[in-house]
Amino acid sequence: MSNPVSRREFMNLLGATFGTGTLIRVSSALGLLPAVAALTRPVLAAPAPGAGKVVVLGAGISGLTVAWELSKVGYDVTVLEASNRAGGRIMTVRSGDVVDEIGNRQVCEWDNEPHMYFNAGAARIPSTHRNLLSYCKELGVDLEVFINESKTALIQDDAMLDGKPLRNADVSTNVRGFLGELFAKSFTTAQLEQPFTESEAETILGLIRGFGSLNRDMKYTGSNRNGYASGGFIDHGVQKEIIEFKHLMKSRLIGNTLSANEGETGPILMQPVGGMDRITAGFTRALGERVKYQTPVLSVKVRADGVDVAYLQDGAPQTIAADYCFNCIPAHFMAGIENNLPAEYMQAMKYIRRGEAIKGAFQAKERFWEKEEIYGGISWTSAPIRQLWYPSHGIHKEKGVILAAYDFGNGMEYTRMTQAERVEWLLKGGEKLHPNYRQLVEKPITIAWHRMNHMLGCSARWGRSGGGMTPEEEALYHTLQAPALGRHYMIGDQISFHGAWQESAILSAHWALADMEQRVRSAA
Amino acid sequence: MKNSAVTVSSLVLGSLLAAPALAQSEVAEYYNDRYCMTCHGADGMGSEGISAPRLAGMEPWYLKRQLENFRAGVRGTHPMDLQGREMQPMAVPLTDASIAELLEWIGGWEYKPAEITLQADAAAGAPLYAACASCHGSNAEGNEALGAPALAGQNDWYLVTQLKNFKAGYRGTHADDTYGAQMAPMAAALSDDTAILNVVSYINTLGR
Repeated sequence: MSNPVSRREFMNLLGATFGTGTLIRVSSALGLLPAVAALTRPVLAAPAPGAGKVVVLGAGISGLTVAWELSKVGYDVTVLEASNRAGGRIMTVRSGDVVDEIGNRQVCEWDNEPHMYFNAGAARIPSTHRNLLSYCKELGVDLEVFINESKTALIQDDAMLDGKPLRNADVSTNVRGFLGELFAKSFTTAQLEQPFTESEAETILGLIRGFGSLNRDMKYTGSNRNGYASGGFIDHGVQKEIIEFKHLMKSRLIGNTLSANEGETGPILMQPVGGMDRITAGFTRALGERVKYQTPVLSVKVRADGVDVAYLQDGAPQTIAADYCFNCIPAHFMAGIENNLPAEYMQAMKYIRRGEAIKGAFQAKERFWEKEEIYGGISWTSAPIRQLWYPSHGIHKEKGVILAAYDFGNGMEYTRMTQAERVEWLLKGGEKLHPNYRQLVEKPITIAWHRMNHMLGCSARWGRSGGGMTPEEEALYHTLQAPALGRHYMIGDQISFHGAWQESAILSAHWALADMEQRVRSAA
Repeated sequence: MKNSAVTVSSLVLGSLLAAPALAQSEVAEYYNDRYCMTCHGADGMGSEGISAPRLAGMEPWYLKRQLENFRAGVRGTHPMDLQGREMQPMAVPLTDASIAELLEWIGGWEYKPAEITLQADAAAGAPLYAACASCHGSNAEGNEALGAPALAGQNDWYLVTQLKNFKAGYRGTHADDTYGAQMAPMAAALSDDTAILNVVSYINTLGR
């Protein structure tokens, strides 16, 4: 503030702002912020007689998508799934379920009620994920709104105000007030002679005033945007005290209060009523006997005119000779499955690193968050649990399931802990946000995707440089996306620029189907 | 936590780590998958994607010792032994009986030669291997009497990792790891990563 932004600097800033159209397109190309997905369902023709046998490896959503689309036009499809359940990382945990973590088997003992579940993997459906939504509609999967941000939820950081949890709205309102004043100081009418007209300048200043909730003198003196300290309904509202920015800026989490409803979580988010696995159930219901469980694949041999797959069923080796194979087995497993896939294809497969995401959940003995005016949404903490998610469903029921941790990128510390250590870690984190948390929750479930049987990793990591794929990595990606010998397709969110979203897996499946259809037609 | 005691059912394929003490009717029970193959690959051929070595064709006495070491925390507990730390909790629930069953199962897997993934100087590795040969055999066939496992036929990338781990003290430093303690100074004698790659390249030439 002692050093105001010069007009020239400000115009440069504006130039950058007005140039964001270009930036967004570049980011989209890098996979950081995908465009709204077009509806990409391929138009498929019925197979020629004797040429319609397809084997799908893995009953993840990409495999199920392929199986469903091909079944509808008359292909003879078999889906081989190594585990006992479909869905892969679409997984809902509820009463009686086994969490099949290698070395740490857990059984869920929560109350057996429809709202008492937790989505251990995929948990949110943005309204822009049109293909996924279209399958929900087609398969009769009821959806409800998922609340991603609650302004009454909490932000807690040991480095900020002695670790006291603040309401999301108290953080965002004061951060915006500070930023608004900063903008206004940088951008007075005197600096706006050119190129703006007077009315344009007023518009800009009005935006700044509105952004920061500033008064007529362009000063932030507090706001009722974050509610009143008291009153406001049938008597005068008492404005809350300002929280000075110098305190708020100690936390890196404050940005979450401004961005939770932007990017991929910007569109209205949804979830299936009763758990994300209702989507998988919709597919498997439609596919019936075509999906075979506990049938681990032993070998994949591609021929010029088809693919031979060996697998185990009831302990006995079986084989399928198919015309086409669609494979959503996690790439890191394929290195351990006998195959004759081309060397460069396997090289690309082995390049992918395994994601390390973790989650945790408790049964809450009471819906204590509702007593704190929190209904849905996410609280953020500097503790390693990072996030608490309050359920969007089951409002005002006796109990609920609280998501007790979610770290998307760095879960190995948690993964290596014993179950008892993980639970203590979850409780310690939750206590930062709700002091009596330890007494309010019970029956922990921990999810370390890196150790889950038949998965051993979360979403594939292509980029090793931290900033999206390098050109070399992109070349490997395209190698793996293309069919081996025109017959074997790798699919799944692992074959996308945007891992860990169901839409990516479906689009990958659609890409493969369209490619196959083109080959079938050109051969005919 | 539920009782994590593991019993082993009769050796129906695919039911190695089986039902713990929990009322079967109450849960959607299905904890009977072949854990070994999830990481170690179909028929235990090893999986580079998981960094899990081959088991098929490896000596049962050596596999037994390693499973026992993992179970006891003698191996796979050093903070820097990343792969070992992935394996270690898998062995914890095993009983002596289930280890015996596992070895019988693994013994039934067909051995297939490991894919060679290294391109280093095998000729330069040959003299380095002379020290190894005294225990592991001149054809890297292993020597049970000395407790030295076969090296020939193992995944080369695994041998490299283990030599590096021994050299760096990530393996073979636990007080109860008798054989590991013998191996550690041998690995330390390999001067650098190049020497490790060369000696493993030589082992690759020994076939199997």
